[in-house]
Amino acid sequence: MKGRIFSIEEFSLYDGPGIRTTVFFKGCPLSCNWCHSPEGQGYARQIVKSGNGCLHCGKCAAVCTHPGACVLCGECVKVCPRSLIRISGEDREAEQLYKKLSKNFALLERGGGGVTFSGGEPLMQAEFLLEMLRLCEGKTHRAIQTSGYCAETTFSEVLKNVDLVLYDLKLIDEDAAKRYTGKSSAPILRNFEILKGSGVPFVVRVPLIPTVTDTEKNLTAIAERIGGAGFLKVELEPYNKFAGSKYAMCGREYLPQFDESVPPEINTKIFEERNIKVSVY
Amino acid sequence: MNERIEKLRAMLLAKEYRAKRSREPIELADSFSKEKIGYAMRAALRLKRLAEEEEPSLCEWDRIGFRRSTACMPPILTEKEWAEIRKEHFVFDFGWVANINSDYKMVLSRGFKSIREEIEQRKADANAAQKEEAEAMLISLRAVDTVVRKYRTAAKAQGLFALAEALSNVPEHPPRSFYEACVMLRLLNFMLWLNDNKHVTVGRFDQYMYPYFRADVEAGVLDETGALEIIEELFISLNFDADLYPGVQQGDNGQSLVLGGCDKDGNPAYNELSRLCLIASAELKLIDPKINLRVDKNTPREIYLLGTTLTAKGLGFPQYSNDDVVIPALCRWGYALEDARNYVVAACWEFIVPGKAFDINNVDGANLPRAVDRALREGEIGSYREFRERVRRQIDAEVESITAPVKNLFFQPSPLQSVLMDGCAEELKDVSEGLHYNNMGLHGVGIANAADAMAAVKYCVCEQKTVSYGELLRALDADFEGFEDVRSKLLSAPKMGNNDDFADDEAAFLLDCFADSCEKQKNDRGGIWRAGTGTAMYYIWYSETMGATADGRRAGTAYSANYSPSLDVKTDGVLSVISSFSKPDLGRVCNGGPLTLEFHDTVFRNEEGMGKVADLVRMFVALGGHQLQLNAINRETLLDAQKHPEKYPQLIVRVWGWSGYFNELDLCYQQHVIRRLEF
Repeated sequence: MKGRIFSIEEFSLYDGPGIRTTVFFKGCPLSCNWCHSPEGQGYARQIVKSGNGCLHCGKCAAVCTHPGACVLCGECVKVCPRSLIRISGEDREAEQLYKKLSKNFALLERGGGGVTFSGGEPLMQAEFLLEMLRLCEGKTHRAIQTSGYCAETTFSEVLKNVDLVLYDLKLIDEDAAKRYTGKSSAPILRNFEILKGSGVPFVVRVPLIPTVTDTEKNLTAIAERIGGAGFLKVELEPYNKFAGSKYAMCGREYLPQFDESVPPEINTKIFEERNIKVSVY
Repeated sequence: MNERIEKLRAMLLAKEYRAKRSREPIELADSFSKEKIGYAMRAALRLKRLAEEEEPSLCEWDRIGFRRSTACMPPILTEKEWAEIRKEHFVFDFGWVANINSDYKMVLSRGFKSIREEIEQRKADANAAQKEEAEAMLISLRAVDTVVRKYRTAAKAQGLFALAEALSNVPEHPPRSFYEACVMLRLLNFMLWLNDNKHVTVGRFDQYMYPYFRADVEAGVLDETGALEIIEELFISLNFDADLYPGVQQGDNGQSLVLGGCDKDGNPAYNELSRLCLIASAELKLIDPKINLRVDKNTPREIYLLGTTLTAKGLGFPQYSNDDVVIPALCRWGYALEDARNYVVAACWEFIVPGKAFDINNVDGANLPRAVDRALREGEIGSYREFRERVRRQIDAEVESITAPVKNLFFQPSPLQSVLMDGCAEELKDVSEGLHYNNMGLHGVGIANAADAMAAVKYCVCEQKTVSYGELLRALDADFEGFEDVRSKLLSAPKMGNNDDFADDEAAFLLDCFADSCEKQKNDRGGIWRAGTGTAMYYIWYSETMGATADGRRAGTAYSANYSPSLDVKTDGVLSVISSFSKPDLGRVCNGGPLTLEFHDTVFRNEEGMGKVADLVRMFVALGGHQLQLNAINRETLLDAQKHPEKYPQLIVRVWGWSGYFNELDLCYQQHVIRRLEF
């Protein structure tokens, strides 16, 4: 079957142990206000235009026959003298994607790593994800990076086919979650309990968004939920001001609903007090 | 870095002493010419004169010293003489004796007294030419002594007694300590530059210095802190006059230093001193000496980790070379195993042998994209196989056209450099006449562009038939104006760097052809022609006049530097790149020339990232890559540095085979680095 991805990154540094290749799935059910990967949010294919090195020659605009209503004809892609325009979102057959990834399996093994499926949200294309995970079984270390937002049956099935889960816990409070991520935290917390009971190794990742997720109340609520045989550590990821840099590439405006200039509270104590292993990225 | 070293480093960076140099011109060539003085003697007399002109420049923080007080380098030949010489000879780079590595091990262990006595002894029953060379050597040695005496007196007067004491022993006698050995090395380095030698390399410092280091440590007179201080001062001193010695660009001065590798029996040679050199370089963050690390498949991870700390500082080195590839390659080219195991790099990355080689490894570059383009323009393509044969013939023709005129080379004799080479004093022979190894090297310029062009012809014209032959030529001639569609098809053909055999096979073929072409040639100094994967500055020079090419490259766009993916290619990533670039038979094209990988500086923000980079380098070595350099940079920083150079006086980037200060580079080299970071 086919799945839609927007990027494959080799030597991705922060998607699990060792040297890894990460596959980014297109589309995400959440719409986190601070998302640094706007390209991963929508499932629909789209034009992405990098500003780096743009000559402002105007050739892309000149060939456009559907201004304001892009039909992905790709004419602008062809004329860009610096090859800075591309269509993001590619439908790939699982077998074909596997074949491509497998070329590097020997290197990944030598580097103590493997493959990570990230996004967007890989669980949004659960069937495709499962097929990829099953193809890779026994061939390379398999990790997923997920928000955990999906049906419980789906999540349980995926857990049977994965070697490591990088699980995002952003906001525990229901109202805050709806406000800042666009979705309820309930399914995420239910799946988190399933993860804890599964024995599958997992890392909890918490983006530290100033005044939103970095509050004592939120971090305490996260810390209190930590547990399970497979738990490895909490990774705190302080907000990076470059988060908004890719919005313009997607023709969007970055509108954070929090004060970006406030440095995030890096409160590791809440975890350390509870003997929870924590690191800061 | 202790306080004294910090002061010295600050003095270097303030550059004030440079402004104080005398710039008084000195005229020598005319009088030499009138008096019909031989060229070797002229070189010696110039050194004598410059030694007399030099005034010691020492400050309270110096324990090693040697800074130029004059900035003049008078020629020894008149314009008229040059014109005559050029009529009959091929002159490479003004005939400088350059880009070789002195036999420091021999010189340090003998001292000048022993060498001088040998020269005097041999002179007694030598022929006239040898006698003249002997006399020139002796004058050169006396010139060194002139400088030594001046510095010794000045050091004593300024209360720098350790230096005065050292200079009462070296270079006349072998060093009695690691410190004296470093003083002697710096003196020799200073004198070689003063002797108008270029690209004065440092070589295997951790090997030839180790006996002195070890003896001191064992005697209990030197500890790690003390050794580090000496090394750091020596490293700083190599930067003192670097501004007087630019190559094609400031920073291209060839002061490469090689660490690690193996001994003559093949055992690992990385030692405590190697480790201290890496630490010193990481602390100093200076562009000289340029660190090279010899590694092989058994090199421990800790060494790569320490190497990565230098990369993380943004130094653009260490440059890694893989003994498992290089040593067998040199042996295949006729170097004795013991010599091959002792290899160093020349100014950038060319593999040479200390003491025994006067190899000229950068004679010229073969313009490979042009060869492919010429093959394309021979006419309609029958089969791809036939097209490949055209490429082979064009590469042959390219190599022949470069090597044919390289005959009857002229070099300016260099008696001082000769004294520092193996066997010259014994035979009373000038190094410029040649040594044990007299090979020449050719760079293979634009390998990725050429391979990509071949792959695009194969894919678009021969197999998929999406572009017709005529259409391709028209598109190239129009520099793709009005042929965007054709360019887009060419760009979407398989490219080198994506671990795709379709393109990688073309690269392997191309490099084999290049190696074959070079192997067919003999140079007229009794050596061979070595094919390599470096570009030197030709990636800019050649590309400027080269029209659009079939890989989709537009006219004037730079080729890739050295052995790296084309600028127009967004590769799948570094794993694919190292896989692709280790596929060809690199042992056949081992003149030197690294794969260059650029990393965003945030990759190095923590130990995990650094560890992964170190593992990646190890992986490259295990795959059989021959040479690798890494840049840790950030595009935004470079762009800001172009706008506000004053904010970034110390910003360093790796250019082609050397690290330079970004602000001191010409715009075209700055832009190339920035473009390498665009995807």
